[in-house]
Amino acid sequence: MSGVVLRDVVKAYGDVVIIPKLDLEIYEGEFVVIVGPSGCGKSTTLRMIAGLEMVTSGEISIAGKDVTYAQPKARDIAMVFQSYALYPHMDVAGNMSFALRLARVPKAEIAERVQRAAEMLELTPYLDRKPKDLSGGQRQRVAMGRSIVRDAYCFLFDEPLSNLDAKLRATMRTELAILHKKLERTMVYVTHDQIEAMTMADRIVIMKDGVIQQIGSPREVYTAPENLFVAGFIGSPSMNLMDAELTRNNGALYVKGQGFELPVPGRLQERADTAKKSNIVLGLRPEHFSAADRGNGAFAPIELAVDVAEYIGSSQFIAASVGGKNLTAAVEVGPDAAPMESGTYYFDTERLYLFDRESGQAL
Amino acid sequence: MRRIDSPARVWGHYASLIILAIICLTPIWVMVSTSFKNEVVIFDAKPVWFFFFPTMENYDYILTRGKFDRYFVNSVIVATVSTFLTLFLGGLCAYALARLEFKGRRFVANSTLLVRMVPPAVLAVPAFAMVVTLNLNADLVVLIFFYTALNLPFAIWLLFGFYKQIPVELEEAAIVDGASPLQVFFQVLFPMMKSGYAVAGIFTFRIAWNEFILALLLTGRNSRTLPVGAAGFITDTGVEWGRIMAMGTLIVIPPLLFTFFAARQIISGLTAGSVKG
Ligand SMILES: Nc1ncnc2c1ncn2[C@@H]1O[C@H](COP(=O)(O)OP(=O)(O)OP(=O)(O)O)[C@@H](O)[C@H]1O
Ligand SMILES: [Mg+2]
Repeated sequence: MSGVVLRDVVKAYGDVVIIPKLDLEIYEGEFVVIVGPSGCGKSTTLRMIAGLEMVTSGEISIAGKDVTYAQPKARDIAMVFQSYALYPHMDVAGNMSFALRLARVPKAEIAERVQRAAEMLELTPYLDRKPKDLSGGQRQRVAMGRSIVRDAYCFLFDEPLSNLDAKLRATMRTELAILHKKLERTMVYVTHDQIEAMTMADRIVIMKDGVIQQIGSPREVYTAPENLFVAGFIGSPSMNLMDAELTRNNGALYVKGQGFELPVPGRLQERADTAKKSNIVLGLRPEHFSAADRGNGAFAPIELAVDVAEYIGSSQFIAASVGGKNLTAAVEVGPDAAPMESGTYYFDTERLYLFDRESGQAL
Repeated sequence: MRRIDSPARVWGHYASLIILAIICLTPIWVMVSTSFKNEVVIFDAKPVWFFFFPTMENYDYILTRGKFDRYFVNSVIVATVSTFLTLFLGGLCAYALARLEFKGRRFVANSTLLVRMVPPAVLAVPAFAMVVTLNLNADLVVLIFFYTALNLPFAIWLLFGFYKQIPVELEEAAIVDGASPLQVFFQVLFPMMKSGYAVAGIFTFRIAWNEFILALLLTGRNSRTLPVGAAGFITDTGVEWGRIMAMGTLIVIPPLLFTFFAARQIISGLTAGSVKG
């Protein structure tokens, strides 16, 4: 089995178990993004793949070779550290070429690769500067450059764009995606940023407390979150989650709570029928609200008491409440619309989610 | 923000600096000037500070009649070899203390410096007893050994502090970049440790070069170092100040040069910009 495979990996520091049991199979050439809240073990996972952290038990293989006990050097990986870890006594070019010089790559080729990486990262004017004379974002790009000049089997990125401004981050995202297409290397990428995860990943791994909550394509984790955690984590602004119960009215199934009653869509009816009726969490994504009934039968009315409407161009973010509970909606009303007010809004019920409150699992 | 000082403050600073400089430089001037005086001037009832007819006779004497060259070679060997050994061993120990986890690490890290608090004079008798008991010949190796032992605690403590300042991620990054342990050390760690090694080297060299009591006890006729040689001018018939001061003046020069070159390696903020935050 090629790619990067973690099997039954456990990591503990003394008595503190950081990662109880991790099974993850990353295919060769795949771009996998690991997301999760701070402290959930993302960096630890990367560092175990890199060989900087020893697994407590379990196995890791890279490119079909068992590397559980192999030195980092033998794993054919390149890594961008969360803290950059630049060599302070070397200039930017020196930092980027260090690995190549160690590998005795011919000088001309080193120069060419460094040049290319510097262009991509917009670092060309800074090649002979020392890290201490660079800004945070420039340093981060040097850290990035140091890995992408290499020709490793697997690239590990630990929040490599976190310090860049929005525009540069978007550019880098695109560049990385292009680079991935071109190199066809396995890439494992850790981030806090939703958009990075959704735009770049072939598959997203969502972690919490060292446990994988769901693995799937961006589309899968967005459209079919397996549990409450994933539902709340993926999507921005995040999904509204509200306590509810299932009721039957004139033979039709409804999900009902404080201040709302929405019909359960056909795709969920069967499972909703067998679920515990009183212990349900309803999930409504903000972007599936609408100011008007789009009239395809799927839209159901819901009364929103608007607290404030934020103008963000062609949409407005609405902070509202329903039955005393806070709720966010994002409605597309065009750039010239007046601030939205309380009243009847419509929700696309085809896109509502139901979860079992006790287990947190999706119905 | 940098404060702009009033002229009065600036002059105050200069005045105090000048006073300090006078306090520091006076003994050196006495030594250097005395080395160029003949006995008559030296023993003049009224001390002559500046205006006397300089003579080279003291230098002439110590360089041609004594065994200055031999003592000098001995001193150079003892000081450089023990400095090198101290830095090498001290560096390894400091690295281990800063990076590796083992039982007793904290205790050792915190207590090494205590050993340094013991004055060499206290060690003189035990050291002498050891050498006699073990039947070691009075030669340079013994002295090198003792100086290394004497200087190690301070060197370890100092280098430990420097190593602790270097983020571990730098080493990890180098390892991931494919560096062998030696390459990690020489290409990543050492360049950042230069300041530390320079400081430790200056202290170690100076102590090994100037040390007197152990050298007096542990050396023989052929293994004397310069300070012991200089003391040889204290004779039954009197103290030959001119010659002692000439020797002293010459003794000062090598550590001065060493310090000058080593100090050029001291650059602050070497790890600046390497990691976030
Ligand atoms: N050496 C260590 N000893 C004990 N606990 C540690 C050690 N290193 C990390 N941890 C713990 O392991 C957990 C996971 O850390 P990790 O750095 O992998 O988190 P992360 O997901 O990368 O977080 P972030 O998004 O903030 O970077 C944290 O709770 C952290 O406190
Ligand atoms: Mg992290």
